[in-house]
Amino acid sequence: MDSGFPPAEHSAGIMPVIETRGITKSFGHVQALRGASLRAYPGEVLALIGDNGAGKSTLSNVIAGVHSADAGELILRGESVNVSSVRHARELGIEIVYQDLAQAPDLSVVQNFFFGRELLVKGPGRLIGQVDEAAMRERTKEAMSLLGAQVPSLTAPVSALSGGQRQAIAVARAVMWATAAIVMDEPTAALGTKQTKMVYDAVRAAADRDLAVIFVSHDIPKMLDFADRIAIMRHGQVVAQMPTAGLQLVDVLTTMLSAQADASEGEAA
Amino acid sequence: MTQTQTPPGAVTFDSSEPSATRRVVTSTAFMIAIVVTVLILLFGVLSPNGVFLSAGNFRNLALDSAQLILLAVGMTFLVGAGELDLSIGANVILSSVVAAKVITFVGGTPEEILAGDYSNAATAILLGFLAAVVTGVLFGIVNAALVNMLRVSSFIVTLAMMSAGSGIAYIVTGGINVSSLPREMQKGFGSADLFGIIPIPAVIAVVIGLVAWFAMTKLRFGVHTLGMGSSLRAAERAGINIRRQRVKLFVIMGGIAGLVGFIDISRFLTTNIQGHQGDALAAIAAVVIGGTSLFGGRASILGSMIAAIIPAILINGLVIMRVGSFYQLVVTGVILLIAVGIDQRRRAQSK
Repeated sequence: MDSGFPPAEHSAGIMPVIETRGITKSFGHVQALRGASLRAYPGEVLALIGDNGAGKSTLSNVIAGVHSADAGELILRGESVNVSSVRHARELGIEIVYQDLAQAPDLSVVQNFFFGRELLVKGPGRLIGQVDEAAMRERTKEAMSLLGAQVPSLTAPVSALSGGQRQAIAVARAVMWATAAIVMDEPTAALGTKQTKMVYDAVRAAADRDLAVIFVSHDIPKMLDFADRIAIMRHGQVVAQMPTAGLQLVDVLTTMLSAQADASEGEAA
Repeated sequence: MTQTQTPPGAVTFDSSEPSATRRVVTSTAFMIAIVVTVLILLFGVLSPNGVFLSAGNFRNLALDSAQLILLAVGMTFLVGAGELDLSIGANVILSSVVAAKVITFVGGTPEEILAGDYSNAATAILLGFLAAVVTGVLFGIVNAALVNMLRVSSFIVTLAMMSAGSGIAYIVTGGINVSSLPREMQKGFGSADLFGIIPIPAVIAVVIGLVAWFAMTKLRFGVHTLGMGSSLRAAERAGINIRRQRVKLFVIMGGIAGLVGFIDISRFLTTNIQGHQGDALAAIAAVVIGGTSLFGGRASILGSMIAAIIPAILINGLVIMRVGSFYQLVVTGVILLIAVGIDQRRRAQSK
């Protein structure tokens, strides 16, 4: 399994930002992951697709520290790491955007951007945890303009914003903090056309900053068009990883759904 | 970590923040302040010879509302975090009973104490103060630990602790109030004035209130508190240690309840085991009237402080006008309903 899938578009010199090797994870009697191996490279959007229950969300949650793997290895820039919590994953530069965004609706945009990682003032106020509201507002503005995202007010509670604006904030926040990779779990599931485009633009902007973006999605035609590479999961394993260029939808669906497919067949497809 | 360079062609970020004046004028604290001012003017006009507006009466108002202001300040943190503490009345009683027991034990021989003549007053009062605050804090820690361990809402846990706490106070005292405490604590603290007119308990309430306001609005502690009340899940995902935050919040509330217990015995020189039944609900009412959402996430310390004056104004004013002070309960209830109605409308608008 973990001898892997030599990605055609990368020469041997480029190291993946994130690599998983033979990750397994069970919840009670349910084996969600049975040796999932994946590579995500800097500057690329990697679409993670698969049928319901294939293990997409579990694998992305393991990468982001939400779940810890039962066995297997998570390799960050060539070094094996043991991610124990979301907090730890963040310290390593891995951010996750949850499907439900996990925002505090009563807190402002700025407060949500820095929730749990507030910037503190310099000087004695730092000792008692005084927050530097002005600096946080500046950084938030910067991150939002980087993605071209607009909101009516940075000090208004997030609950006053539209779904698309909240989603854009969640992406912008992840981009601001991430230094290695961003994991996104169905980030456009609940959005309209215009808002979806806003999120795709933001995701591309993130990848252009040399982050690896792992994008969990059900929208395979869109992913063939948008993502750089695609990883297909089935029964808790990554059965194929390949560039999207020239790939046909029918091949992807065959790999995703065929009962007999294994890693090598998937690669051949 | 963030690139400052804006990519060419990107829309520059633009947002309009409400001005400071607008934020103040539209705040609930401001509206409550107007209500309180109107009440004061109303009673001033209606009271014979405007006696309600005399300096001496303002002193009484400040002294009478100090304890509720303190309790409401502590309760604002809890309600803002989506928690409740129904046991603060029991905590006040238990803390005052422990303090009174310590003071009578340390103060002198039983004969001296019966005569109200303490040979050891200063040490006894100081130790009594410490005993009250420590008892209050411990009470709070037990509350938080039970909520954390049992994974039950604080409503149920503190309801149980209300019963258990006052039960312990009855057991410790045998149902008889500890009285004839040293007069020094009344003259030097409970009924003492700063500059001859401002009651010390009121000064303490305002100082603690301002510290709490700073902590709520300027410190990470306040953001985490409100974030926790807004969405427990979001706070967890943000890596905030919710259980530890909960302990801190209940410790603040407990410590304040202990302080209020000490102020209580300093004013009246006796414990009041039968009293304080309505403290928790009065504090929660003040918090909600002051603009804190009962569902957590939004809180106003200043609003709570101003709203906590209302019961004292009503009691005092109605007594001066020779109307039964029982009407105070009715009026407070009506104001609470109006405040909750306003809160609901605001929530509906922001969604």
